[in-house]
Order: sequence, then structure tokens, then C-alpha cells
Amino acid sequence: MAGKSGRTIKAEQKLTAKQLLFTWEGALVVLFIAVNIFNMSISQSYTLSNVLREMPKYLAEIFMLFPMAYILVLGDIDISVGSIVCLTGTVTCYISNAGAPFPVVILGCLLTGLLCGMLNGFITTSFPELPSMITTLGTQIIFRGIAEISLGGGGSVSYINTKQIMPLSTKLGKLVPVIILVVIVVAVIYTVVLQCTTFGRSLYAIGSNKVSAYYAGVDVQRCRFIAYSLMGLMAGMCGLFLTAYTYGANTTTGQGFEMEVIAMCVFGGIASTGGKGTLIGGITAGLIITLLRIALGQANVNSQMILVVVGALLIIAVLIPGIKGRIDDMKKLRSAA
Amino acid sequence: MKEKSFIKMITGSREALLFFILIVMGILITILNPTFFSPVNIGQIFRNNALTMIMALGMLCVMLTAGIDISITSTLAFAGMTIGMLTKYNIVNSTLLLFLIAMVIGLLCGLLNGLIIAKGKVAPIICTMGFMYIWRGMAYVVGNSQFASGEDVREFAEFGKDGTIGPYIILIACYAVFFVMLKWTKFGRKIYAVGSNPEAAMISGINVDNTLVSVYTIMGLLAGLAGALSVSIYASAQPNMQYGREMDVIAACVIGGVSMSGGRGSVAGTFLGALIISIIAKALPLVNVPSIAQNTVKGVIILVVVIFNVITRRMVDKQNLERREM
Amino acid sequence: MKRKVVSILLSAAMTAVLLAGCGGSSASTETAAPAAEPAPAAEAAPAEEAAPAEEAAPAEEAAPAEEAAPAEEAAPAAGGSDVSGKTFAIVVKSAGNPYFKKAIEGFTEVIEGNGGTVVVKEPSAATVDAQITEIQSLISQGVDSISVAANDENALQATLEEAMAAGIKVNCFDSKVNADSRLTFCNQAGTTEVGQALIDAVLDLSGGEGQYAILSATSQATNQNAWIEAMKSIQEGDAKYSKLELVEVAYGDDEPQKSTDQAQALLSKYPDLKVICAPTTVGIAAAAKVLQDQKSSVKLTGLGLPSEMAEYIGNDDAHSCPYMFLWNPSDLAKLAAYSSIALVNGEIKGEVGDTFTAGDMGEYTLTDAGDGGSEIILGPPFQFNPDNIAEWKDVY
Repeated sequence: MAGKSGRTIKAEQKLTAKQLLFTWEGALVVLFIAVNIFNMSISQSYTLSNVLREMPKYLAEIFMLFPMAYILVLGDIDISVGSIVCLTGTVTCYISNAGAPFPVVILGCLLTGLLCGMLNGFITTSFPELPSMITTLGTQIIFRGIAEISLGGGGSVSYINTKQIMPLSTKLGKLVPVIILVVIVVAVIYTVVLQCTTFGRSLYAIGSNKVSAYYAGVDVQRCRFIAYSLMGLMAGMCGLFLTAYTYGANTTTGQGFEMEVIAMCVFGGIASTGGKGTLIGGITAGLIITLLRIALGQANVNSQMILVVVGALLIIAVLIPGIKGRIDDMKKLRSAA
Repeated sequence: MKEKSFIKMITGSREALLFFILIVMGILITILNPTFFSPVNIGQIFRNNALTMIMALGMLCVMLTAGIDISITSTLAFAGMTIGMLTKYNIVNSTLLLFLIAMVIGLLCGLLNGLIIAKGKVAPIICTMGFMYIWRGMAYVVGNSQFASGEDVREFAEFGKDGTIGPYIILIACYAVFFVMLKWTKFGRKIYAVGSNPEAAMISGINVDNTLVSVYTIMGLLAGLAGALSVSIYASAQPNMQYGREMDVIAACVIGGVSMSGGRGSVAGTFLGALIISIIAKALPLVNVPSIAQNTVKGVIILVVVIFNVITRRMVDKQNLERREM
Repeated sequence: MKRKVVSILLSAAMTAVLLAGCGGSSASTETAAPAAEPAPAAEAAPAEEAAPAEEAAPAEEAAPAEEAAPAEEAAPAAGGSDVSGKTFAIVVKSAGNPYFKKAIEGFTEVIEGNGGTVVVKEPSAATVDAQITEIQSLISQGVDSISVAANDENALQATLEEAMAAGIKVNCFDSKVNADSRLTFCNQAGTTEVGQALIDAVLDLSGGEGQYAILSATSQATNQNAWIEAMKSIQEGDAKYSKLELVEVAYGDDEPQKSTDQAQALLSKYPDLKVICAPTTVGIAAAAKVLQDQKSSVKLTGLGLPSEMAEYIGNDDAHSCPYMFLWNPSDLAKLAAYSSIALVNGEIKGEVGDTFTAGDMGEYTLTDAGDGGSEIILGPPFQFNPDNIAEWKDVY
């Protein structure tokens, strides 16, 4: 499964890197199984129906994992997504409360997200000298700021007609939430695009070496623009589903999501330095973190300790390739000597 | 002709440009609220933002090596909470000792960051993101659902009370030390070398790893110091203190012309950048920007200043070499 | 090599989780940091069923908690309504807040005193997102009752409806959720009563006329907004307040730094300001410090925790706050606990007119909350002044 990463331009690099990538995804799958066993041992409530019921809120975040992976592969970062979720959620509520029909509500939400993403893309591509972190830091404050202004003194808005958005939070056969199916469809599309299309490969090329990609005829700025736009679109998707579960939005909606999503990606082996990683790794990692949080929550481990666990997992995950690289280097040096 | 020389002047050095922006901002604010430039207000700007200004120095060093540290406010909270609890339960009451404890905690946090980043070859943003969660969690654990405030920290808060000069002295001392260190010491030049070109630095005999470790350790030390200052100035220690403010510090550095790709940036620039951020925070409530619009305005100003920087740099580049662009 | 990587990863992850488990349970077992205050029975804490962690605990500061545990039996077995075998959950706004710490202690004391089990959920951030996660987890565990202090009035509706559909009794305290998402609401004090107390304090401190400003929490804080609205409408409705002028409502977002900035801005913007009213615990402490440090003649009142405000309360010029108000968070949570018990035992259904006995706190009646649901009002807000602050500052 993970062998697909061999299709990337990275494959031309030394063999060890490819092997590492291979083992990383393999390791994640093993870890995934292990985590499930561990979860069942610490919580009696860790059953399929309970997990499926608790999943949707986390799944809404997972929407953003896919385009975030694109952006990280590019070697960029986008920390404005949490604010886009807030803004799109707010706008969606207002559209719905104005009496618009359901399709218009969905369209309006996705469009708002897309516009935010395009604004990010426009600024980062017009001023490539600016680090993306700074641009998106600025827009992070602005997007949430706009939401705060439109929410006014009350600071929150709720759907008047909650029936309208019910279809988004229903469950098929009283067990499988709709959102899971949507996530699966989106996941497949994004994975295929990243691994099997010219666009996807261009992302890896840019992430590995921007200058050489440019000379190889890749339209660097266009690819970046598209990635940021997709990011906005998916943040809109997240906002849409999230509001369906919270019946509305407020000024803290989506706060801190950006870091959680980035953490999932990185844990999945998508390096923040660009050009590395696959979505399969990212998705597996996202599921591992989600399931772990659900189980720890059920075992009433307190919430700060869950944060500590996520932080520690993240550091351990990124340390391993580094340490392994060191050991390999040392071996090489020794054999050379 | 005249216009051109003006442009040249303000684009000639980053600091001059920032100074120009500061003056424009100052004039605008004074027009909107003439009382802005009172000694009391100026004093408060420095006092209330001493934390941002001090941490910006550490961030400058980190960013000079092409790194970033987003765990600083978590370190600050961890150190601040720890000394808050120590003084609340009367375990340690000496102000000096509390400051030292906070700094040692910060230093250890920073050291850990540095070791993992340098020895483990981990991307700084990821490593510090992990620690951002961990130290914040630890701050909650240490606090155990208690604040330290008011009476609990009475003696300690004397140091940072309005009207005392303690925070200013610390601020000035930090800036003096860093100015000298980055400009005239071997270590300071090493930081620049590592940031500009790590390989070249290594070949020329600089121990890159050690430099990296010390840079993050310094950052941690300053975050710890800021933690103690925060408790002292606001007479309160809460586990969520300064949550999200690391972005202010990073923005201050970037506005101050510190490059995120390393090797470029100065103490003076950082100071001006931090000052701009501080003035924005102070001035917005004073010039009657409605509370709910303050964040938006702040975001727009940050973006505009940063983009303005880029445009002026482009103009310079164009003037200098109109041959090839990439 | 592959296997090695996997095994390292696995063991590392497991260790991390296990460690976290210990830390977690020890933290929630409320072992107060060094030199804990003389522990009342409540200190005994949820004798957490966080089973897996228990053996590994000694490394952490969990040890002293072990001794504290037997105190559980000592808790007053008031009320008489036995709920052994039932599980009661309390979800607070966020972790790390002494106000809710006191609430949790009160809640635990009552529930364990009646033989029930308590599950404490403190979300890592004061957001509804975090609360939804916690409540979902409680539904999975199949608890019998959930008492929540909501971060948003409407956003928890879907989740709480799901909980009620699963047979869980839902009530809220401190900050309400809408009528559809709850059975009843334990209100600390009527909104009008708080507004009345605050505006009267402003009138008194200003000497009957002049400018005053409000320093609130965040712009969307439900409670604060309701109180401010109540203040405004009382002021408009009565001629004796006509000489008061509300110049600004500033928001300090419950952050000490921003609250300080805002308080200072109020002082320099309005030189004639006479009173600042801060109906939030963080805001009032920050403003108190600003006023006292600057030796300003502006006076302060509002809602604050006695332990945080003791430093600033006094009638002379050296103190910035002559008096302020609050209720006892512990009593509030006890009321929430008793009403949960009554709900679980079927004594009340959450309808207006229902009555129940809240242990030694006496009898309470459910009244109309004005939003289509019922509420239970704890009592009028309590005034803290220089005479009684010394005795209360050690309590909460």
C-alpha cells in the first residue's frame, strides 16, 4: 500500500529515504492496530457504536488534513484554517437564517471557504518572499476578526431552522454517520490527486526544490495558489459539518484546529520541510490520534494530559527518523573509515 | 529627485523604514487621540509589553538560525505557574530566588527543545509544537486548578508594580546584552554564520549543533524570565496565561525585518518591530476602535506592514539589479 | 531495521500513554500542590476509577492522595436519597480555574456523601468544541446525569439532546444552555438581582452621578452580557439613575494582560470617570491592580473571588475596591448535585413548580426561567466588604 510513495519524484533519491518512508507507513498501520487494542484495554466503553458516535466532531477536522498535507508537501504552512472554519461557520448560519434553501447554504459555505483560501493563495503567490507562516498569521487574525465583527456583541449565532442542516449529522442505519462517507470520498480523491496526477507530482517537485521545479517548467505559484484554495475549500467543509453538530458558530469555533491538523500530518510522516510523505500516512496518523483521544477521554484521563500525550507522541514520531538518520550516517562513516 | 532620495533613505536600511512607519503611526494616533503621547502611556507601553519585547530577543536568535519556537508562551506559563504556586504556598518567598527558579525552568525547557532540534534533526516548528502542548499541559498540572493572584503574590508583585523601575531595568539590560552579544561577540557572529549557511559554518569550524542548542536554551531562559515578569507585573499566575501570544512575538520579529530563512535581522529592528506591535495593542482601545473590530484591525496592520516591507525591498532590488529575476 | 523502528515506536508510544495515564489520574484526584489547605471532606475527591494508571502511580505526586481517600466516608450523608451505583458527571467551562475547582469540590462532596460516583470533566480550552468532546465521551460511558456549565447557550443542543435521548439527566449550572437542551438550570442568582446589585453599587460609589464604565469578559460571554443588559434596562427604567452615564463597555477577554490594557485605556480616555464595574473575576482583579498601583481615585466594584480580591478591598484610598459581590461556587455546585440526584431518582422532572430538598441547604422550588425552561435560584448575590473579606478569602 505504502509502496505507492515510490511513484513520487522522491524515488530518485537515495534508497534509504525510500525505505524509511516505507517503514514509516508500515509502522503506522501496526501502531493503529496496537492503539486499538490498547484503547479497548483502558476503556470498556470503547465499542464500535460509541466510537462511531464520537467520531464525527474529529472527522470534521480530518477534512482539513488532506489539503494541509498538500501545503506541507509544498514546504509551506497554513495556520489560518481554524479561523476560516470560524468564519465559514458564521456565514453559513447567517445564510441559513436568511431563509436560503439547503443547496444554497452548502454552496455559500464552501464558497466562503474557497474565497478565504484564495485570498491566502493570492497574498502568498504575489509576495513569494513572505514566509507563508506570516501571511497566514495575519489572515488568521483577520478571518476570525471578521467573524467577530459579524457576530457582534452576542458573539454567537445559531441556526433558526435546525431541521435544514440535520441531513449533515444524520446516521445511516442509526450507526454510520453521513460524514464518514463524505470523508472517505474526499480522502480517495485527494490521495489519488496527490499520488497519481501531474499536479500531485508537481507539489512534491516544488517541495523538494523550488528552483529546479521552476526550471523544469512547473508553474510554482499556480500550484501554490491551487493548494491554498483547496485548503480554504476544505476548511469551509469542516465549518459546514461542525456547525451541523454545534447548531451554530461562535467566536471560538475552530480555535486551535490548525495545530491539531498539522500535528496529524506530521505524525503521519509528512515533513514540514516539504517534499516528503503520503496521504495514507497522514490519514492513518489522523485516525490513530483521534481514536487515542476518544479512548483516553472515555477513561477520564484529564484533558491537559491528553494534550501532553499528543505532544509527546508528536515529538517521538519526528525524533525517530532523525535518530535513525544519525545512526545510518555513523555507520556509513565507520565503514568508510 | 527629492522623492527618490527619500525612498532611498527609507529603503536604505530596514531600521529607517521601520522608524518611518512608527512615526506615521504615531502621528495618526496623536491626531485621533492627543493624549496618547503622555509619559504615563509610554511607560505603560513598555511595561505591559515587556514580555513580548524580551521574548522577541530570543526569537530573534532562533530565527537567525532559520528556526522558530512556538512553545515559548507555554514555557512561560509553566515557569510562571511554578513560581506562582511556590510563593502562594510560601515555599519560596525571595523575589530574586523566584526569578532564578523561573529562569532555570525556562532554561531546561529550552535546552530540551535545542537538543531535540539539533541532535535529533527535527524541524523546529514541529518539535516546539509538541512542547507547546506539553508545557501548557504541565502548567495546568502544576497549578492543579489554582490561580496565584492578589495576596498570594503580594511581595513578588511589588517588583513589577506600576511605578517601579524593575521591569524597565530588566528590559534595558536584556536589550543591551543582546545588542553587544550579537554584534561584537564570537558567539553572536556564530549565530549569524549558522543561519546564513550552516554547511559553510560547519566547514569553517563552527559547531553548528552546539550553537543551535544554545540558541534555543537562550530562548527558553528568556521565556522563563518573561514568565516571572508576567506574574510580577500582572500579580497573577494562571495556566492559560499569554495563550497564543507567541504569534505576537513572531510577528514582532518579522515586522522588525528578521528573515524566517535565517541569517538576517538585528536587535534594533526587533526592538522597533516589537514596539510597533506594542503600540498597536495600546493604541487601538485609545483611538476608539470598537472592541470587536480590534483584532481585525491588528491583523490588517500586521499584514500591511509586512507587505510594505516586501514592496520596498523589491524596489531596492529593482534599482540595484534590473537584469534578472527569479 | 523495519522491525526495530516499529518496536521502538510502539514501546515509546505505550510508555508515553501510560505515563500520561498516571499523571492524569493523579491530577484529577485533586492532590493539592504542596502544603494543601486543611482538607474538608470534599478533598477526598472522586476516587477515580482510572484503573490502569493506579499501579504505576507512585512516581507521581499521587501518593498523598491515597491517604486522603478514606475521608470519603466522613462526608455528610445528608439528604438521605441514596444513589449508590449511579454515576454523576460534572463538566466545567475549562480547566485551571479556582472558581470551578470549588464547584467540583462541592459537587463531589454531595454526590459521594450520598454514595454516588463522580466523573469530573475539565476541557482543556473554554470552547464548546472541547465541551462537546467531553460530553460525547460521557454518553459513551453511560453516566446517569450530566451537570454542565456551558461555554455557549445553543451550541451544546445537539449533543445534550443526544444525551437525554440516551436516558441521561441533564442539568446546567453557572451558565445555562437553552431550554431544549436541559431539564433544569441551577442559577447562581437571578439576572435582574445581579444587575440591580451592580447598578446600585455604581450609584453608591459614584455618589449619585457621573461617568462609569464596564470592563467585561469576552464579547460573547452569556452571563456578563445578560447582567450588563439588566444593568442598562434598570438604569433606563428608574429616574434615580438618570445622572449616571455609561461611557463604554470594554472587553478584557478574561486575560490579565488585555484586561490591564483596557482598564488603563479607560482611565486615560475618560479623565472624569468615577467608577469601573467589572462583572468578571479576571477583569476585576486586573482593574483593581491598575487602580491601586496608579493610586487612582476611580472606584471599582463588580463580581470577584474573595481570595483574589482580598488585597484590594478596603474603604480607604489605599484600596481600590470598597465592596463587590459573588455567590459561593461550592454551594452552587452542591445545588446542582442535589438537583441531579432528584432528577435521577425521579423526584423532579424539571418542570416549573417541582420541589425538592437539597440536603442541609433546605427546600428549593423550580421556577420559570423566562426562556421556556425551569430554573432553581440559589439566592441573592453575596456582598464582600472590608468587614467580612478576611474570613472569606480563605474559603474560596
